[in-house]
Amino acid sequence: MRLREKASLYSPSVRDLADRALDAAAAAGAGYADCRVVSRTVHGLTVKNGAVARVALSDDEGLGVRVLVDGSWGFASSDRLDPMSIETTARHAVRIARAAARVNADPVRLAPLAPLTGEYRTPVLRDPFEVSLDAKLQLLMQTDAAMAGVAGVRVRESSLEFVREHRFFASSEGMALDQTIIESGGGLDATATGDDELQVRSFPNSFGRHQLCAGWEAIDEMQLPQNAERVAAEAVALLTAEQCPSGRMTVILDSTQAAMQVHESCGHATELDRSLGFEAAFAGTSFLTPELLGNFRYGSELVTLTADATSPRGLGTFGWDDEGVAAQRTLLVDQGTFTGFMSSRETAAAIGRESNGTMRADGWSRLPLIRMTNVNLEPGESSLEEMIAGTERGVYLETNRSWSIDDRRLNFQFGTQNGWEIVDGKRTRLVRNALYSGITPEFWRSCDAVAGPQEWRMYGVVNCGKGQPVQLMHVGHGAAPCRFRDVHVEPAG
Amino acid sequence: MRTGDEMLAFGEAAMQRARSDAAEVIVSEETSELTRFAANRIHQSVAERALRVRARVIGDSRVGVAELRGEGEDAAGRVMRSAEQARALSQPSAVSPLPAPDGGADEPVAFSEHTATATPEQRADMVAAVTAAAAAAGLNAYGSLSTTTSSTAIVNSNGIRRQATSTQSSMVVVVRGDDGAGYAASHSASLGGIDGAAVAAEVIETCERNQHATAVEPGDYEVVLSPYAVTDLLEHLSWVGFSALAKQEQRSFMRLGERLMSDTVSVLDDCKDPALFPFPFDAEGVSTKVVTMIDRGTCAAFVYDTPTAASDGVTSTGHGLPQPNTWGPYARHLVMRPGGVAHAELIAGVRRGIYVTRLWYVRDVHPLRTIITGMTREGTLLIEDGVLTRPVRDLRFTQSVVEALDSVLQMSSDRRLELGEDGTAVLTPWLHLARFSFTS
Repeated sequence: MRLREKASLYSPSVRDLADRALDAAAAAGAGYADCRVVSRTVHGLTVKNGAVARVALSDDEGLGVRVLVDGSWGFASSDRLDPMSIETTARHAVRIARAAARVNADPVRLAPLAPLTGEYRTPVLRDPFEVSLDAKLQLLMQTDAAMAGVAGVRVRESSLEFVREHRFFASSEGMALDQTIIESGGGLDATATGDDELQVRSFPNSFGRHQLCAGWEAIDEMQLPQNAERVAAEAVALLTAEQCPSGRMTVILDSTQAAMQVHESCGHATELDRSLGFEAAFAGTSFLTPELLGNFRYGSELVTLTADATSPRGLGTFGWDDEGVAAQRTLLVDQGTFTGFMSSRETAAAIGRESNGTMRADGWSRLPLIRMTNVNLEPGESSLEEMIAGTERGVYLETNRSWSIDDRRLNFQFGTQNGWEIVDGKRTRLVRNALYSGITPEFWRSCDAVAGPQEWRMYGVVNCGKGQPVQLMHVGHGAAPCRFRDVHVEPAG
Repeated sequence: MRTGDEMLAFGEAAMQRARSDAAEVIVSEETSELTRFAANRIHQSVAERALRVRARVIGDSRVGVAELRGEGEDAAGRVMRSAEQARALSQPSAVSPLPAPDGGADEPVAFSEHTATATPEQRADMVAAVTAAAAAAGLNAYGSLSTTTSSTAIVNSNGIRRQATSTQSSMVVVVRGDDGAGYAASHSASLGGIDGAAVAAEVIETCERNQHATAVEPGDYEVVLSPYAVTDLLEHLSWVGFSALAKQEQRSFMRLGERLMSDTVSVLDDCKDPALFPFPFDAEGVSTKVVTMIDRGTCAAFVYDTPTAASDGVTSTGHGLPQPNTWGPYARHLVMRPGGVAHAELIAGVRRGIYVTRLWYVRDVHPLRTIITGMTREGTLLIEDGVLTRPVRDLRFTQSVVEALDSVLQMSSDRRLELGEDGTAVLTPWLHLARFSFTS
């Protein structure tokens, strides 16, 4: 069976699939069951060194069934959507749960949730799937040509990606939720090589592309061809730039690197499943524990962090999470004080709270986990210009190049593609191979400036890994340039 | 699951729909189940099955690719129509030709009926044995036990027709006490090859040794790295340097004929080694050859796919990923030649140093110089006068892999199989290194 092009609450075929799965699970003994029917289309285009390297169109559809039996979870999924296969999948989920229940002493309890029905669709100005592939390739070819004009660039790569995902969620508690999520992403990388040096500059962000829940307008706004020559020239300039200075100094992060800092040191640290040990064998735990809620100084008073699934255009923006909990905004850190976790119905119940709606699954075949929605550093009142002017000795760091943090999210080291030395309140020379490191709460407590709304941007991370089997999630981060005092900085190599 | 013949027939049926001059179809079907546990309790237990079809069509110097996951109506026809659509809308470019049959056999393949027929109850029982052992020691176990069966068929219009079905079982366990943890893992084609009791004993011993760690000053230390840790180093080299594309784009640290590492270090890619999940062909249907990348410390060879081989005027070594791609070929069956002493003797040879069980979050700092950073995790122990004396707090390292492997003093005769972060199978000994740089 093939899902209808636009799944809908009123589409009997998708509802029938879900109902059949829920009925089969109940008949097999499930005390609770939910079902997600998901259809995802991805168009990816890449141009590399003047040639079309990839025009790939992909479709992905299937169904996942999650059940509670005797207080234990089971999950099974299949791409076979005929009635008999759906029932087999549901019964297998029940069998898996029953096998787990033989081992488990304590039953899972779920935080309460009122049943509801509804529809959500990502607002877009121009549907990216209605823009021709030819127009998309032309844009990438123009971008490539602009980079090609810069002598010394060894590898040029630019790409676009568009995602449309229909999700239908139903549960034995009476939920029926229909969502269509649309994402548009693009970016470029210029690689320059020398005898013993390799430098990459990316735009608008590293990791291949910048992506938003938005339409083609997001691609227009990036102005890839207009920025390509400048970015390529920066890669070449880095080959002969001085090494980054070493020592303790002031660090100013651009908004893309601030987003990465938020992702690693706040986003993952405030996932309640990590704090409770669910990820201890793989992604790790967290230095933040429930006992610290409301009484731990995470950062300075300028630091307010939220998990906000309602942020416009964020990759973590939706109508409901994959347990049916409505999108919402949660204060994680309020003016420096640790105040909240991202949670699920199971983990929230474990600490006596209600879920704040952050359960997300990587498609139909994977179990929902607590994942970041849009974890944002709320804007402050400063500006990049003001921060630089107020810095006697330091570096302004742009665009992530390297990222590593320990399994409790405390000890981190990041590298950036670009660095600018700051002396006596002025941005002076370009420096390369910059690394900075620290301990999460010490670092955020040293934050003495965050730029205001005019410099605040939403960014997307499309490669956030977690869970076993591993799941890659698209998450959002709103951030603005921010300044930190007395940070350890050194050059790589 | 489909039989091998059914997989090939599916691929050929899809290829018949192609209108372009040349076509390739990759069909893969996978069933995978995983039982995950935390705090001596099964908290996530999952199963998935899916069919994937990938079509590549070539004509008029244009390439189109389409992928589909799902057993929907007319999957073969849909994926080929999408590929033709992508090709028609693409632009003329230099196109790498499809490979031709090379006469290679569709074996050896890592396959076990025991894994292919594993049940949720079997996995739950094996997990229960581990959690019971941890509980008996007053500890908590966390981890997963997975069983996977994958069938792959590749056909192309040049006559390639390959098919293989493989299995993999993996048990990964972390055991935590009041103030410290241990790690152990075991991987095998057969679920019967996973000795849960041995894994439990190893991880509990490490956990009990690793309680109440105290800090040591960062700096350069003599180290003994377990195979779990060495795996990350070798997988990193594979990513940044063993690929012919990395060489062609001047991104590789490798300089053929130049000795960069200790002459005790030899690293090869061996898809035929029975310990390493053998698999006979790559994603283009080309037979995978055994390639020695580092021969007694000297850069000896790169791995190739069809495009990079054509560029260098050589033959593909059969290390291609699905084409076209911008990543190049990849070595995913890494073997480091062993040394001559038991790993316990490596520790006995250290006056003052650090034993590292596992590395974590290893990332590039400077790819051309193979500098990486990461943390130690779940078993970082001080060695004094040849004995593991006390646990030390986890440390951040920032270190050139090449320089680390140039400082090998000894390597063990015994080896372990571990899977890297990206699933690369790595068979490696314990290493005793003269220097390893811990930075915080």
